[in-house]
Amino acid sequence: MTKKKSIFTQEVIVGIVLVALYFIFRTISSDFGKYTTFLSMMDISYYYALMAIGVAFPLITGGVDLSIGTGMICYALAGGCLIRFYNVPTGLAMLVSVLFGLGIGLANGVLISVMGLPPFLATLCTCMITRGLGSVVTGSFAIPWPTAKQDNGWFHSIFKITLADKTKLPLGLVWIILLMLIMQFVLAHTRFGRYTIAIGSNKEAAILSGINVKFYHIMVYAVSGLFAGLASIAYAAVIKTVQPGTGAGMELDAIGGAIVGGVSASGGYGTIYGTVIGAYVILFLKQGLPYIGFNANMQQIITGFVLIGAVTIDIIKRKVIK
Amino acid sequence: MKKKMLAVMMSAVLVGGLMAVPAFAAENLSDTTEGIAQFDGLEAKEAYDFQIVVKSFQSTYWQAALQGMDQAAEELGVTYSAQGPASESDIADQVNMLNSAINGAPAGVGLAACDTSSVLESLQAAADAGVPIVAFDTGIADAPEGSVVCTVVTDNTAAGEVAAENLYAAVKDQIGNGTVRIGEINQDNYALNIQQRGLGFINKLIELAAADGYTVAMEGNEFYVDAAEGAVEGDADIILEVRVPAQTTVDLCSTEAGTILDKEDTIAVFGSNQTAAEGLLVANDNREVLGDTVVGVGFDAGTSIKAAVEDGTFLGAVTQSPLMMGYYCIYALTAAANGEELIDVPTDGYWYDASNMEDENIAPNLYD
Repeated sequence: MTKKKSIFTQEVIVGIVLVALYFIFRTISSDFGKYTTFLSMMDISYYYALMAIGVAFPLITGGVDLSIGTGMICYALAGGCLIRFYNVPTGLAMLVSVLFGLGIGLANGVLISVMGLPPFLATLCTCMITRGLGSVVTGSFAIPWPTAKQDNGWFHSIFKITLADKTKLPLGLVWIILLMLIMQFVLAHTRFGRYTIAIGSNKEAAILSGINVKFYHIMVYAVSGLFAGLASIAYAAVIKTVQPGTGAGMELDAIGGAIVGGVSASGGYGTIYGTVIGAYVILFLKQGLPYIGFNANMQQIITGFVLIGAVTIDIIKRKVIK
Repeated sequence: MKKKMLAVMMSAVLVGGLMAVPAFAAENLSDTTEGIAQFDGLEAKEAYDFQIVVKSFQSTYWQAALQGMDQAAEELGVTYSAQGPASESDIADQVNMLNSAINGAPAGVGLAACDTSSVLESLQAAADAGVPIVAFDTGIADAPEGSVVCTVVTDNTAAGEVAAENLYAAVKDQIGNGTVRIGEINQDNYALNIQQRGLGFINKLIELAAADGYTVAMEGNEFYVDAAEGAVEGDADIILEVRVPAQTTVDLCSTEAGTILDKEDTIAVFGSNQTAAEGLLVANDNREVLGDTVVGVGFDAGTSIKAAVEDGTFLGAVTQSPLMMGYYCIYALTAAANGEELIDVPTDGYWYDASNMEDENIAPNLYD
């Protein structure tokens, strides 16, 4: 007889935490419950959620991708430069940004899988490279993307639409949910997803069972880079003026979100819906704490404690399984 | 006779008093002119190579400063290399860059310090090594003797005051019928220029309100709350709320700005530099209250701030002259390398709104 699985998985617990956080912030600050505050939070959530979905894959293999934060800024700068200085159509520049991310992701995969660099080191190197590259590409200057009112600023409507009565709808949330479902399906029901988990559970066993670990390892980092590329578009749509040299530290919020959402810190387990919920927990802390009188420094301290809690749950879970 | 003498003396006092006002204004003006005039006919004795350490390249403000430097370097036949940390919060990185620049024994170093207290040791090393430092953008109040030979900065206190005067004039009719809130977003509380600008705005606003019989209570960041002069505790006609993010990024500034814009009693907000003003605009994207129920005032330029001033989202903004600051920084470095004694060079700041953006003294400072 198999033991009945508890419905209180980490994903469910984190989901409850997310709802609880919302109501706590809303109770203490009535401003937090405003629709406009919700819209602003959604705007900022898209790039964190996209980075988190992508980085969940390397994390599940037991690796990490530290290049997604500075990478995201670098890809946004490259796309912005094409529009601003070379009159490239917005759609094409967006495609270049995404492909740039994919390229850096593939490079990470090759460094880790083929050249044998530890993921931490390889992606730390590309983190530094993309940080510098963003400055080189732009001559170290901030690059504004087209505003929503400009002709080539149509890409803003991918993330937010304004109805005839001027009501704004966070369309980006629909894409995040859709991508979350697609990538959850990929992780749970495709060969690529199963091998990703297999590599994270026991890499040696995966090699012995004939899985082309090198190839799938490269693909995992390519997914992470691809989503950082997508995040760069969301970032440009919200922040508008992209500043070179920034982005460092953003990857930690995305990685933290994935870990809080139940992705095992040592690999082998994780879900994409948990990752997205976890990313929103981090975001709620980041956005909500200033509303109840805590400054952003306190938010970092509290987020640190939340992460300790999440990793502790993961450790306890593993001990129980053993 | 005594009456006659008294009348003459009183007339003299009055005339003297009247003369004193333009004399004070003229003194400031002559300071600016004098600062610039010292470079008349300046030529570099050698093809000097300078090191420039900026706060970061985060905003297009620095692009304009470097353009000014390029122009001056070309005119004088000198060269320079510029470097800066990834963000204006990376204080330790900037100190390392400054130390490396000084160790290279250049003809001089131009410095826009992220944190004025963290660079003091490096400045002492520069003084010991005989490397002249020109402080630009941000003055360094406690610089060791012999280190900073010239300071090229906007009068940031005056710049903050100008923002307060224009903002107060636009909202004063709304004051007095219950408590209202005015916000200020400062990207940090450790850089001298932001401190001066922030406090210039706060203290002028308190002064203007007091002149009309209104009281101001401070809320928010402790540094600015403690440093404000003339604020009251408890109930007041105006709450002046100052918000500072953990890092100098637009998205964190936007979160802080959002908390102020969401309050029902907010009537005006001031963003005290390009990053803070852009954060304020990002926060306004969904709320759309600036230019409607809330008066917004920005600082510096950049594409989105200029567009906001143009379309009325911002009442106006204060622009400095980063181009001139960069330009005179290279001139000051060259003069210092020649061995000349220098006096400080104050550079101009201007209030601009939709009506005067094309003016000839404003337009060149409105960089993208």
